[in-house]
Amino acid sequence: MRHFRTLLAHELRSAALSWNTWAAAGLFLALMGGIHFFALVEGSRAPSDRTPVESTLWFFWLPLLCVLPLLTMRTFAEERRSGTLSALLTTPASPAAVVWAKFLSTWIVWVVFWLLFTLFPLLTSQRLGTPGDVRLSDPSILWGGLCFIATSGLLHVAIGILCSCVTRSSALAALLAFICLLAMTAAGGAMESLPIESWEWLGWLREPAAHLRTFGHLQDFAAGILDSRPIILYGTGTLLCLGLAILSVEGQE
Amino acid sequence: MNEAAPLPEAAVVAEKLTKRYGSLTAVEDLSFSVAPGEIVGFLGPNGAGKSTTMRILAGTMSGTSGRAAIWGVSVALDPVGAKRHLAYMPENNPLPEDLRVEEYLTLRARLKDVDPARVDERVRRVMDDCDLTRRASGRLIGQLSKGFRQRVGIADALLAEPRVVILDEPTIGLDPHQILGIRDLIRSLRGKMAVLISSHILHEVEQVCDKVVIINRGRLVAQGRTEDLRRELLPEISFTIVTRADAAALLAACRATEPAATVATLPSVDGWNAFRIGLPSASPARESLAGALIAAGISLREIAEDRFGLEDIFLAATRRAPGEARRP
Repeated sequence: MRHFRTLLAHELRSAALSWNTWAAAGLFLALMGGIHFFALVEGSRAPSDRTPVESTLWFFWLPLLCVLPLLTMRTFAEERRSGTLSALLTTPASPAAVVWAKFLSTWIVWVVFWLLFTLFPLLTSQRLGTPGDVRLSDPSILWGGLCFIATSGLLHVAIGILCSCVTRSSALAALLAFICLLAMTAAGGAMESLPIESWEWLGWLREPAAHLRTFGHLQDFAAGILDSRPIILYGTGTLLCLGLAILSVEGQE
Repeated sequence: MNEAAPLPEAAVVAEKLTKRYGSLTAVEDLSFSVAPGEIVGFLGPNGAGKSTTMRILAGTMSGTSGRAAIWGVSVALDPVGAKRHLAYMPENNPLPEDLRVEEYLTLRARLKDVDPARVDERVRRVMDDCDLTRRASGRLIGQLSKGFRQRVGIADALLAEPRVVILDEPTIGLDPHQILGIRDLIRSLRGKMAVLISSHILHEVEQVCDKVVIINRGRLVAQGRTEDLRRELLPEISFTIVTRADAAALLAACRATEPAATVATLPSVDGWNAFRIGLPSASPARESLAGALIAAGISLREIAEDRFGLEDIFLAATRRAPGEARRP
């Protein structure tokens, strides 16, 4: 546990000083700022069922696919390429402590990015909104959506970490993470759009497919519905990915 | 160091270590040991399996079969326990480029379970020992020269005062002054830590090590003290002689003293004839050869016994077939 704390502090410090993190933060804020701006413009043109915050959060997949792989790609791939991972593993620190420290530090950075995003609706509401009108900041949807981002982010970051564990190339790790996250985000919707009803032999897929609706989970969280099933899905998925990542790092020993 | 812990017979044990990559055998049936406080040179030609063996001992690679133990702890069964007694500096000495030397050593000290109250003291001590304090402590590792990076690697290895230090080519890339400094540093570890050191600079190994282990094609070909190996691997001693006498007269004079003596002609020196006389190493003629030649009327300008160094031992050992080495 002492090694984990030491490694976590080191990883957080490295992330804070890394150009990679700052570049990812810039890209993230540019993307989300742009999306939020267009959501505000659209909202001012015509009445909509969705508030600007809800419309912006609906595009969570964009930074998920474009920014998160940038954060996770270097975690292990770069260390494997330079050999510093082997050097790290000559100390009494266990592979599990190394994997968990890198995972948690990346997740914290990811959540901090999203907390920075909250400045957009909060500042918009403060500058443009009327006192007492919360439509521009929409706090319930904003914080509910952020809870979804934080919960699903556990699995998303774990997938990125696993992808970084299996290669020495940061670029390949980013590409792998992009493909896996795209598949994961689109899987639920894609399976729902399949005519599973008419294929009897695929009937068993109906219920699992319903559990994979990422956008449905966002909707539930934003509406304040606390369903244990997606939490279990993201939790077990995270543990599975991290377990595989630990085995991968141990295999390199 | 934990002074209360019992002293094992061997600080490092490699027992029938084997490592295969598919059909390629990198290390085969390799057995040797390093006693506590002993400095052992680990030698072999390129591709002999030295780095592979060291990585198995350090726990950064698993062997296909055999046993590796550090301070009595099995590397395979209790890797974390074994690593508590061990410091390993790999051949290319990978270091994080974006950390300052002091920050890096502090991090490594914490990961190596150095008492938190002693971390700063230990970091300062190893930086002093490796001459890093004045010129490198505040610099980014990525900005350091090869020599300073090697010193950082060695400082890291000594940080937690381990029982066993494994150094893979520690002097590679260093200038002669730095090599002397590192040599003195390693010498100072004698009796305190068991050191297994690989190097291509055989003179360095001879100067520093108590014994050597020589491998070739992944198998042990020789091990022991340099003197013992000299006797084992170089059964003949030789003398270089510069004289006016011819080969036939010289051979006759030598044979009168030692019937097994041989004479080989060397290029002449300033118009004088030069020869190499070979004698069995146990021959009593070794001490009386000069007198016997003078008594036989051979005029001598020079006579000197050829000194065989570790280079000659290394060449002789790596020429012989694997498996001829004596077991430890």
